[in-house]
Amino acid sequence: MSKKNASVWTSIRFWRRSAAWVTGTATVLLIWLTFNTMGQISMGSDADLANGVKKRIPAPTVINYHIDYVMDQKRGHEVPVIGQKEPFFGKQWSAEEAAALLHHGKLTSQAKNCMNCHTLLGNGAYYAPDLTKAWLDPRWEDGTMAAITGKNSKEEAMAEFLMHPSQYPTHARMMPNLNITQDEAVALVAFLKHMSSIDTNGFPRNFSQNAKRLEGGTNAH
Amino acid sequence: MWESCTDIACGNIFALLNEGPLTLTIFLHTVIVLPMFFIYFQEKKRVNEEAR
Repeated sequence: MSKKNASVWTSIRFWRRSAAWVTGTATVLLIWLTFNTMGQISMGSDADLANGVKKRIPAPTVINYHIDYVMDQKRGHEVPVIGQKEPFFGKQWSAEEAAALLHHGKLTSQAKNCMNCHTLLGNGAYYAPDLTKAWLDPRWEDGTMAAITGKNSKEEAMAEFLMHPSQYPTHARMMPNLNITQDEAVALVAFLKHMSSIDTNGFPRNFSQNAKRLEGGTNAH
Repeated sequence: MWESCTDIACGNIFALLNEGPLTLTIFLHTVIVLPMFFIYFQEKKRVNEEAR
């Protein structure tokens, strides 16, 4: 009679089955999640842009389009909105040209170690302003920087600033001159423009409001 | 109780499971833990039968 209520907790078989179930299910779930994420983290195509298909990471040719940063009430944060075509450094870039330019920009950002002071997509430092949405900063948009640098377009003003940052003290902490060449500056601006078009679920938080509030200052504390 | 999906990947099964108060974490833990009760009672039955 007493033997009838033998404990399950001392049964090796019970623990083995439980461990196999938890480990097996977790493994399957993690593999599924990994492949499920692929679609989200893969870059869109030029055709997606032309057909208005929204991708979290648009194709490199997004540099040929106007990018807006609009408050989405439903999602509760700002989202990049890809608009009409606009020339980038006075021309439209083909898929191959845009991809090569972006690659050059990425390599330059690594060679010049932008992350040593700036933050890019959540990686880097907070000594200097967050660059994730730098392209959408109102100071470039409203013509302030174009006027200061004496250039006609946002991208040319940005490139000019990158080549001679110490000539344009726009920030409480002045950016040092990194000897960035014209080609590197153009590539960097393309890299920044593409990065700003990535849907980062609202990161960095309240970018436009902070950009206005901290004008000339820094959000590093 | 049900919030509209605010992610850009709303057709995704994990986005659907992440809606409202039933978060993905709670859902997945429930899915994993519930069958463990089944394992427990099945093993209990087996252990009792062997003890007889």
